[in-house]
Amino acid sequence: MRLGRAWPLLLLALLAGVAARRRPRRDLAVAGAPELREQARTDPEPLPALVHPDVSPLPEAGRAPARRPAPGQLALLALLALCSGVWAVVAWRLWDSTLPGDLRPPDLDAADYFSAGQLRESARYERFLELDFLLSQAVLIGVLAVYAVRGHRFMRESAAGRIGTGMMLGMVGLGLVWLVQLPFSLAAFWWQRRNDIVDDGYGVWLAGSLGGLAGTFLFVSFALLIVMALAGPLKQRWWIVGGPAFVALALLFTFVDPYLRGDLRSLENPALAAEARELARAQGVDEIPVEVEPVQEFTSAPNAEATGLGPSRRVILWDTLLDGRFSDDEVEVVLAHEFGHHAHGHIPESIAWYALFAIPGAFLLAFATARVGGMRDPRAVPLSLLVLTVLQLAALPAQNVVSRRLESEADWAALRATRDPSAAKGLFRGFTRETLQQPDPPTWSYVLLGSHPSVIQRIAMAEEWERRRGR
Amino acid sequence: MSGGTHPIRLVVTDDLRRSRVTVFFRLFLTIPHFFWLSVWSVGVVFALVAAWFAALVLGRTPRPLHHFLAGYIRYSTHVSAYLLLAANPFPGFLGHAGSYPVDLEIDEPGRQSRWMTGFRGLLVVPALLLTFAVAGSVGPAQAGSIFASGVVAFVAFLAWFAALARGRMPRGFRDLVAYALGYSAQTYGYLFLVTDRYPNSDPERLVSSGLPPHPVRLTVEDDERRSRLTVVFRLLLALPHFVWFTLWTIVASAAGIANWLATLAAGRSPHALHRFLTAYVRYRTHLYAFVGLIGNPFPGFTGAVGSYPIDLELDGPEPQNRWITGFRLLLGFPAFLVAASLETVLVVVAVLAWFAALATGRMPHGLRNLGAYILRYSAQTYAYGLVLTERYPYGSPSPVEPPERIPEAVEA
Repeated sequence: MRLGRAWPLLLLALLAGVAARRRPRRDLAVAGAPELREQARTDPEPLPALVHPDVSPLPEAGRAPARRPAPGQLALLALLALCSGVWAVVAWRLWDSTLPGDLRPPDLDAADYFSAGQLRESARYERFLELDFLLSQAVLIGVLAVYAVRGHRFMRESAAGRIGTGMMLGMVGLGLVWLVQLPFSLAAFWWQRRNDIVDDGYGVWLAGSLGGLAGTFLFVSFALLIVMALAGPLKQRWWIVGGPAFVALALLFTFVDPYLRGDLRSLENPALAAEARELARAQGVDEIPVEVEPVQEFTSAPNAEATGLGPSRRVILWDTLLDGRFSDDEVEVVLAHEFGHHAHGHIPESIAWYALFAIPGAFLLAFATARVGGMRDPRAVPLSLLVLTVLQLAALPAQNVVSRRLESEADWAALRATRDPSAAKGLFRGFTRETLQQPDPPTWSYVLLGSHPSVIQRIAMAEEWERRRGR
Repeated sequence: MSGGTHPIRLVVTDDLRRSRVTVFFRLFLTIPHFFWLSVWSVGVVFALVAAWFAALVLGRTPRPLHHFLAGYIRYSTHVSAYLLLAANPFPGFLGHAGSYPVDLEIDEPGRQSRWMTGFRGLLVVPALLLTFAVAGSVGPAQAGSIFASGVVAFVAFLAWFAALARGRMPRGFRDLVAYALGYSAQTYGYLFLVTDRYPNSDPERLVSSGLPPHPVRLTVEDDERRSRLTVVFRLLLALPHFVWFTLWTIVASAAGIANWLATLAAGRSPHALHRFLTAYVRYRTHLYAFVGLIGNPFPGFTGAVGSYPIDLELDGPEPQNRWITGFRLLLGFPAFLVAASLETVLVVVAVLAWFAALATGRMPHGLRNLGAYILRYSAQTYAYGLVLTERYPYGSPSPVEPPERIPEAVEA
């Protein structure tokens, strides 16, 4: 189940435009001391004395004493330390959850819950997609690296001004990425079709892919418009306004997202609708409606999501959950899980996490592109795509840790609301049965791609809840 | 006027005068020709099959077959010119050379590549698409159909009213129909193995006499080189421009109304509004040039003068007749209709150019110039509609003469 549409996390990724396929796009999570290095380039002071003041050589007899950092530089270091401290405190506060502190789900053996055939089949299915993902990311980095070096040549294809040319370079870069990733996307789609996970034809898939590219072009143009317009007057300090501006946009898009959905319907099953109201009331979010999104035409994969902010909050079920493959009890677990996201404020929380990553990410982007004129110069745009993509990939594990924490909390909330661990276990086993999700994926895959706890971990949590209730 | 060194050349000696009576009954008067054209076309089918085999074996179309097919093309051009009001006299039934004011000069048969002959039906497809967009089912394709289509049918419909009212054919419309007939004749000449030279869509090669200067002028400094990568994503790259253009259009519409009212009151467009709307029309031209592959670089967002290889020069505000200003929308309606139909041709141009530019990295010269003509007409129409000038748009694909070479008596 997804938490919202990941708008907050998506926005900065759209600036890079090249988030990992098959998963929500995420933002950046790297901090550093770029201002120091920036200063070091223009300052006669030796760099090591600034970056590592604690290891600078001690003055020796007969030699001139080492120069001390200037007061301004010390103030900068202090400011950086302060910001890091604030970052850590906010992250610590966000990390806090309602999960019991002594929660230790048991280590389960997947073979006790799934047949050997199911395990073999899901491993085979996931292995292909994982390999496809790794190859596509390698190609992606390679292409963006070449584009970072040579992309500025496309400036001659523009008659636009500074910002317009930057937009064009951004779009051309993402167009190239789309082209070189097309075979990998096609392979993944073929594989999903072959395993009956998606039902679309290739024409529809290509049209959808082009539609997605069009949306990406629009977003990257918009993002570059903001960044380059700010970088004009603010130069290297555009991120001070740009980072919060993207957070504000994330809030806006999260708020309007439910209203942009086309064809949403109400729950037709009166018993399930009544149970949904009961579950919402139990979690203190009885004002949140449940709607159904028709997706059966395109996919058989079951899914649901919590989306929106304040009055726009919704729980959206895909109609693939309601086609009889899952019992009403299992669907109620899904509903309780999504209500749990809303009840625990996970969407505002995820936007706060986004802010924690986006603002330093914008700062790093400004630093990384300073060498080629900064984001006010269109020549920096190809490099910025590479930087954002690399940072994004580097930040994936950290983002997944946060995401899994939120999902675990929602799972626990669902168990408390439904008091039906059997249904929860049935639901999670159904994911593997219906979508070939690997119950216990390899560690690297779990770290890099696991935005949710693994199926076996979720079953273990249900077992733990059952054990505690029996105590 | 005559143009070009293509083996099939259009020759126009029409004096624009029209008999109102024959104009009124033009469609009915053409019926006997439709009948004869249909009969002739049956023979053409057999002649074409024979010519194809002969050209494959001999490397040239035998002279009798060539004359038969060339005569058919010439005759259908005469009939189309008569039907579409590009000429006045009732045409003869034999398609003799030099017998009609809108005529074709067709060279004697020459050697033809056997490869190109073998794949002629495939190779002609792009030219046929453009022919249908411009000329619809006129020309040789008219056999069996009494209703023309494409831009020229539309133009002829409008010209019918003008010719009835004035006893003269507007020159712009006549030239546009003549261009369509000339291109259509070259296309069918290529398909019917009369020549193996590919049709040339360049309006300047087909209709070469000039027009007097206009306050809205298109300048072309494009080198025809195209970046394949930006060609691939051309439409998607223009998405931010479409958003910006939509917003600008909303404001420009309001500014256009304000400009209309101000010009009606003062007899001249205010400078600020004129400058704003001029930038809008220029930006529109840049954007359409980019999307239609008429220009290569990504355009700017401000419509700055001199910023794009396909650029627009607009004169400053001049006094305007209040009557013409008052009825501007009504008067501009036919031009807007023609501009809209020409812009559908621009779509075909863009699609064909997309494949050509992707394959060769260059824009075909003829397509570029045809696109430039459409942009010019469209810009002149919008400038007229937004009350930037009171000069009516030139429908003729002829190049506009530089100011020092103004012909003495030319009709716009």
